[in-house]
Order: sequence, then C-alpha cells, then structure tokens
Amino acid sequence: MTKDVLVIGGGIAGMQASLDLGDMGIKVHLVEKLPSIGGKMAQLDKTFPTNDCAI
Amino acid sequence: MPDKKEDIRIGVFLCHCGSNIAGYLNMEELEEFSKKLPHVTFVQRNLYSCSEGGINEIKKGIKEQNLNRVVVASCTPRTHEPLFRSSCGEAGLNPYLFEMVNIRDQCSWVHMQEKEDGTTKAKDLIRMGVAKAALLEPQEPIMSEVQIRALVIGGGIAGMTATLAFANRGYEVVLVEKEEALGGMLNHLSKLGPTMTDASALAEEKVRAVTGHSKITVFTKAKVTLVQGFIGKYKVDIETESGNKNIDIGVIVVATGGRAFVPEGLYGYDGKRVITQLELEVLLKNGLASAIKNVVMIQCVGSRNEERPYCSRICCQTAVKNAMLIREQNPDAKVSILYRDMQMYGVENEEMFRDSKVKRVRYINYDPANPPEVEPDNVRVYHALLGRDMDLAADLVVLSTPIVAQDDANVVSQLLRVPIDENGFFMEGHVKLKPLDFATSGIFLCGSARFPANIREAVAQGLGAASRASIPLAKGSVVVEPIISVLANEDACRGCGLCVALCPYGALEIQNTEKGRKVHVIDVACKGCGVCAATCYQHALSINSFTDKQIEAQVEAFLN
Amino acid sequence: MLDVGRHPNIELLAYSEVENVEGEAGDFKVTVRRKTRYVEEDKCTGCGACAEKCPTVVPDAFNEGLGDRRAIYSYFAQGIPSTHTIDPDHCRQLNGKKCGICAKTCQAEAINFDKEDRIVELNVGAIIVAAGYDVFDPGRIPEYRYNEIPNVVTAIEFERLLSASGPTGGHMDRPSDRAVVAEIEALEKKVRKSQKALDKLEEKFNEPSAAFYKKFQAGQYQDDEDRQKWADKYAAHLAVIEPLEELKKKAAGFTVAKRLAFIQCVGSRDFRFYPFCSGYCCMHSIKEAMIAHEHEPETTSSIFGMDIRAVGKGFEEYKIRGGNNSNITYVRGRVAEITEGPNNNPIVTYEDTRERKVKSQEFDMVVLATACAPIKGIAALAKTVGVELDKYNFIKTSSLSPVDTTTPGIFVCGCAESPMDVPESVAQASSAAERAAEIAFQPELEKEKAVA
Repeated sequence: MTKDVLVIGGGIAGMQASLDLGDMGIKVHLVEKLPSIGGKMAQLDKTFPTNDCAI
Repeated sequence: MPDKKEDIRIGVFLCHCGSNIAGYLNMEELEEFSKKLPHVTFVQRNLYSCSEGGINEIKKGIKEQNLNRVVVASCTPRTHEPLFRSSCGEAGLNPYLFEMVNIRDQCSWVHMQEKEDGTTKAKDLIRMGVAKAALLEPQEPIMSEVQIRALVIGGGIAGMTATLAFANRGYEVVLVEKEEALGGMLNHLSKLGPTMTDASALAEEKVRAVTGHSKITVFTKAKVTLVQGFIGKYKVDIETESGNKNIDIGVIVVATGGRAFVPEGLYGYDGKRVITQLELEVLLKNGLASAIKNVVMIQCVGSRNEERPYCSRICCQTAVKNAMLIREQNPDAKVSILYRDMQMYGVENEEMFRDSKVKRVRYINYDPANPPEVEPDNVRVYHALLGRDMDLAADLVVLSTPIVAQDDANVVSQLLRVPIDENGFFMEGHVKLKPLDFATSGIFLCGSARFPANIREAVAQGLGAASRASIPLAKGSVVVEPIISVLANEDACRGCGLCVALCPYGALEIQNTEKGRKVHVIDVACKGCGVCAATCYQHALSINSFTDKQIEAQVEAFLN
Repeated sequence: MLDVGRHPNIELLAYSEVENVEGEAGDFKVTVRRKTRYVEEDKCTGCGACAEKCPTVVPDAFNEGLGDRRAIYSYFAQGIPSTHTIDPDHCRQLNGKKCGICAKTCQAEAINFDKEDRIVELNVGAIIVAAGYDVFDPGRIPEYRYNEIPNVVTAIEFERLLSASGPTGGHMDRPSDRAVVAEIEALEKKVRKSQKALDKLEEKFNEPSAAFYKKFQAGQYQDDEDRQKWADKYAAHLAVIEPLEELKKKAAGFTVAKRLAFIQCVGSRDFRFYPFCSGYCCMHSIKEAMIAHEHEPETTSSIFGMDIRAVGKGFEEYKIRGGNNSNITYVRGRVAEITEGPNNNPIVTYEDTRERKVKSQEFDMVVLATACAPIKGIAALAKTVGVELDKYNFIKTSSLSPVDTTTPGIFVCGCAESPMDVPESVAQASSAAERAAEIAFQPELEKEKAVA
C-alpha cells in the first residue's frame, strides 16, 4: 500500500513530477485549471538550446 | 514468415474521425479498395475507431471473423497505438499483430483541398500497412528483475543527498568516494551563498546522517574499477582500503562533481597575491589578514574563451558572495569585480547582487578584447562607461576560474559506457527533458559532474536523480516493449563491433561464443532505435516489427 | 504530455481547481471542483466537428489573443485531454439565446448543456504545487508603449507567431499588417454583399451600374424611386471600394518582419516591478531570434540587455552560435523608450554604453522579454493549500531544502518556486517527486519494519 499524491498544475514541472511518481507505482491526481495540460511550454514553438519541438 | 499464407486473416478498420477524415477522403472508395487487398478478410468503417463503440467493433471483428492481424487506418500512432494494441490483446490477439496507418495527419489534414489525391495517398498507405501486417509476428514484453540496491559514485553534497534519499525510501545504498573524507567541494568552502550557511557545518551534518544510516554503506578512499551488466543487474567491483568488493547493484548515480580550474600563466597567478576564488575561500575560512585593503576580482578567467567556451554558471555568484564576506571581515577593504556579464540569474542571486552594491562592492565591465592587466601594485582596466583606463590598487587579486570536469571523468565514462561532452562533463539523455538521466537505462547523474551547480541546484539534482533512479527499484523489475533489436542471423554476425560503438544506449556488447565473436543485445537496455540494424552490413541484426522483410514488403506494396 | 494522459497511475483532473485542503503530511483531505465543460468526457472523441460549426468567435487565449477560437473549443490542437469545452461566458445557448448547433453537430452525442460542476474528495499523503507562472503585463511600463504600438509584442506572443500551428502559420506577419489584412477581408465581404445586390438591379434594369450612375448623376431618373435606391446602393458600394483599393495597395507592399529588436528585463531587474532576474529570458530571446532567422534568412536581430545571461549547459555556445550564424547583435544597455515611426515601425531609443551615446534605431517589430511573474491566484492557492509565500509571491523554500515548502508534506517545483528554465523545472520536478515519494512509501516501510 502506498499513499496517493496530489499534483497541482499540469505544466512541464507538474507533468514530470506526476510521471516520476506514477512510474514508481504511486497513484497521482493531477489537477489542472485549464481544459488541457501542457502549460506554458506547450505554447512554445521550439525550446533552447536544442531548438527541438516543445510538445 | 508464416508458412501457410491462407492462414492470414487481416481485418482493416477505417476510421472516419467524425469528419476529420471522412470529410476529406472518399471512405467508400477506401473500403472497396481495402477489401481487394491480399489476406484482407474483413473491412469496416467506424465513426470513431478510438471510441468505446469503435474498440468493441474491433474486438468483435477479431472474435467473430477470426482475424489474426488488425490494421487500423486513422490518426497518429503517437496517440492511439497503445489503445489499439491493448484492445487487440483484450480480444485474445497478440498486441504486436497490429499495424496502424495514419490517414488523418498524412492524408486528410494535409490534402484537405485535394480529395482525390488524398484518397489515392490513403490507398497507398493502407496497401503498405496491410503488406506489412501480413508479415507481423507475435512478440512478448521483456521483463527483467532488479537488484534493490543503488550505487552512488561521489560523496559531495549532490551524492550525499542522493544517497540519503535512497536510504529514506528504504533502499540499500553503496556510496563510493575517492577522497579520504566525504563532503567534496564543501570541505574547501567557507560560507555558502546566498544564505551564508557554514559549509563545514553543513558537510558535517550530512556526513553524520550518511554514516549513521543503517541502509548506507560508505567506502572512502575507494574507487569503482569495473562495472558489468545492465539496468537492474550490475556487478560492480570496488577497490577499497579493506580490499576489493564485488557488489550486485540495480541502479547507478554519477555524482563525481567537478574541480576548480587552476589558472597557471594567467594574470600573473602565483597562489599568493594573485589567487583563485577557491583559495580565497580558505583565507576567508581562516579569517582574512587585516592588511588586505584593496581586492580586485576578475571574472571569466579561463572560461568563455576559445579553449573553454562555456559559462561556468556559479563563478559570478561566488565572487559576489566572497566580496561581501571580505567587506564583512575587513569593513575598510575596497572590493572591485571586473566582469563581462554578471550572471546573477534568478531571485536569490540577483538579490545578493543588489545587496552587494548597497554594501559598496564595485562593478566594472570589461571587454574580453581589451582585458584587465595585473601590475605589481594595481590592476589596470579600460572602463567603458568612463571611456578611459583606470588603475585599481590591489593587494589581493582574485581570479574567478570555472569549474572544469574531473580529471578522471573519462575513466568513469568508459567504466559505465556513458558519454561525456566536449568540455568533459557527463552528457545527459536529453538536455531539457531528461537532465538527470543518461540515455542508457539504469544510470543517472547530478551535481557538477553534469554541469557547474550551486548548493541549491546540487541538492535539488541529488534528490531528482534519486527519484529517477528509484523508479526501477520501486517496481522491482524492468519491463520493456519487445520492439527491440535481435540478432536474427547469428551466423552472419562477424563480431566487428561497429554496432556496439554506435549504440546510443549501451545496449550491445560483443561476446565470445562457441561460434566466435558475436554481438549480444541487452534486451532491457535496447530502445529499438534501429541504428544497429541499419548499420550492420551483414544484415545480422534486425528490429522486431520493423524487419527488413516487413519494410521491403511495404516498399514493394508502394511500388506496385 | 501524452505519457501523462495515458499513464495508468495518473488520474488527470483537467479543468479543475483545488478548493480545500485539510490534514497533515501523510493524510491530507483535498476537495477538488471539476468544472463542467458541458461536454460528456467519456463520449467526446475530440474530433472537433462542433468547433467547426460553432458560430461564436472568441479570441484564443492559447494564441495570446492573436488568433480566434470558438465558444466550444479544445484548448489547443494537441491538448490532453482532447475533450472539448464550452466557454460559458460566450456560448449563445448558455446565455439564453437559441443555438445548440454543436449538440446537433456532435455525432458522439457528447454535448450536455445541463451538466454541472462536480466535487471530488481526495485523500493524499503529499501535495506537490507546480502552479507555474504568468507573463508580466508590459502595458505597465509606459515608456515601452506596448498597448499603443501594435508591432511591439511580448516574447510569448512572438512565439505564437513563429509557430507553424499558430495564427500566422509561422510567418512573421506584423500585427499592424495583419490588422490591415483583416480590414481588407471585412471590406471585401461587404463589397461582395453589395455587388450581389447591384447584380440583381443590373439584371432588372439590364444596364451596368456604372453607366446608369453616370446618367443618374447627369439628372436622369430623378423621380424613379427604384432607381433612386439603386443609385444610393451604388454610391455606398463606391464608398467602400475606394478605401479598399487604398488598403490593398498598402498591403501589396507588406513583407514579413525582418528587422527585429529584443528587449531584455521587461519587468525584471526593475525596482518598479520585479527586482529579480527571470533567468530564462535571455536564452528565450536568442532562441526566438534564431528561429526567426531560420524562417527568413534575411532577418537581423538586435538583443538589448544589461547582461546576457547564458548560464546553462550549452547556453553560452548557443549564444555565440546565434551571433555567428543567425545575424544576432548583442547590445549592452537598457532601452529607454519605444516610439512609433513611419510604416508602423517601432523606434528603439537606448544608450550604447560601449560608445557612451544615446542612439535610436528603427525596427519592423520589437519583442519584449517579459518577466516571469508569480501566477495570478497564487496567494489564494497558497492559503487554500496552507503554504507561505516569499516577498514576491513565489512559494517559499530554502536553498538547502529546495523543494520543501514551509508545511511538511507539501512540496513545490517549477516556476511557482522561482523563475527557472525547462531543464531546471524538470530536475526540480523529480526532486519534488522524490520528497513526496518518501511520504507515499511510508506505509510500505512501516510494514517492512514490522515484518523485520
């Protein structure tokens, strides 16, 4: 038995934290106030320093 | 390839995606076309193949029509392939007997204005998908047990933080430090910015916690000499004062840190009047001589130049912090910092920077094309704002030198078969998205071994690397998708090792077998990228579900 | 993003807000409001047919208002979940008007105007706050005239212009030019409408409008009521055509923005707003200048900054590469003022500290590298969750425990803690996960101990 974790915010930080915990076998509840997760990073065209796609 | 071709029964499901596909392609035509393709025994159109209704239709098709291969022509495999695969599995069909064709992104979306051409292209793609599907073979996921024990290499603040994190989670940890004492860089520093925490006290506190923890085994004056195996199953040889140890390890964290560059031959460096920031730390720790009244610091000594183009991130904040400590110890001392760009990023650093100006630390910008000159009593610098040379009295000159890679970074790199970059720092799996993972599964990194880091960053990365590395420990096993490289034709392999050198994941090794030198695929480490199979001039290696035969069949289907 | 959406251990509660938190580390009771989308989540397939038919056009927040969406929408094309949402502020049906077109269009029968908010209760051992940040509103800096000069945009707006999936399809069309093009389109629509009416009249009287109008002006048909109307219509038509032709002539000369200025520390390192450095903006500007140059090789960029802070791994090299290969010039100094010159070209006035001269330079477009501001609503969230903020309204931590908040069991990562770039956010997210996992695994550890 493990305890659940609540993550508030579905941007890159919230998503990464959720994935780490989820992969460890912990149940995560990810709350995002907007209709979709992705956060600011999803709005970026490309990201430094590799100029690859942000999504 | 199955012996009896008549046994293959392919079902093709054409998704309308509402109007996303059906609005732009001729679905009736695609249906009629698909029916005539070889081995296709069933064709159905769905409003949404991914909806519950659509999935049930696929399952029904598998059961009622005895389908043994499924092709869905819909959107991108990135979104729904896992769903369709698992649905096949639920209906009793091996999930890897499924093929997906993308007629939305590649046809209807990009050819909205060309219904006929878009439909023709969709036919090509479906024909190719069906040709490949006929040759698909069932695959089983690969599972491997994980030894629940972590190895941390390097006992500085990042390594100790990672070690404690593992132990707090209940996992056994082995910490290997090459020096006599744990603590790393902390042992050489006075106070840490911006909170002015005493570095020795912090080191002592951490060392006490590490050495007192029942789950932690510490080896000092020790080094790792051999690492064999792969994620979950490493055999590690450690040379210690009490003899050699051979320990089974599940995951490895590299926290070997960095060292301060010694500026031999630069700005009259002599270790006495002209010293480095690290040497200044020792003076500050022991109390600065009251005779020191004029201090000039020069930034970017040995960095941001042709030889070492990178910015070492933490030297500006170190200089500002030390300038304030000098003013604290010798309130009359004048301190000037000659800089190119003050890299006081973030909230805390910029705050400390502002604070230092209030405390009368002086900042003068210099141009690398016209650098400062250290003279017997002073430092001469061209002051751009004033437009003239300035002479600054200096009884102590402090050079801010970069953190450079450890001398033995390449040894560790070879032992673990993980890459280092052009500056000798360890290279993470992805600069942005996997900053604490190596591309190779099972090995992680943190702290200044990755790139110069301050205390806050080193602690955060130590925790973060432990989080990443604890995933296989928490699961107890590693499960990987079977779409990996296999030595399909052992006789053809000549053991040349070209593939081993090119594999980005350390998933290949050469073994001596009865048949001679042969490549061996470490299946749990392989990510199925296909570099090896594409490289092998003997065609000995092949990727499951992307075999030469399957790809050739697709190409042929396209050409016909 | 996709991995999150389909992870068996992650329950995604999008379009939801935390309303209450009680308890302590190891045992928090959390109340979450799941706002209604007026769309059944298990039925919607995200196909988008509804949004195609929805008659209500709304500025698109994801595109920073530079594009439009409909009152029923998916937040962005690749968004997870892809479930569509009805915007209750703009939907006609929800505002008492007759519509319901989306419901008629949806073949999955997912639209439900009666669907209400739901309250969900959760029991968790630990909480991670990753609430992110807001872009500073540069309208607060009067001398940069962000609200007055259309071709002065924020870095995130410029990002949407650069994006192939953005409102300009990745072309650097200037906002002032786009406004003209939009006006042309509106006038053309008007002209098409009036032309239609004229066509009917021409058919009726069997005469081209121009010829008729000449005669009418010469005094003929003055007492013919129908022809009087025709004349009025034609005059109105001409009154639109003339400015339209003018605008078209103007638009023919439009090219994409090629001379770009990037202004650093907009709202950051500024005592009036945020004294801190936002950390990522220097690199963000360099990247945007590089991508702009990739799109249009003639592009030249000037980046105006006090220091160019390229402190991450590979960043300084990236900055040098930008200068060498992407026509980027780095200018040391703070921009004093932006004014508007001819052709809607912004003019940047700054002190060149190397030459000790005040200079002015004209650009096609100016991009403001805006500060990383604490997210709106963070004070309320911090109160609900029960953590302290620092003096800027970032969540308080200390450098020796960088992801621990002031409350045990509650951790923070990303820009809610302080400004940081993507690699740092990702690393910190893992740190927060580690700290949360220590609590989540506590029962397992105790079990182990009991057995031992």
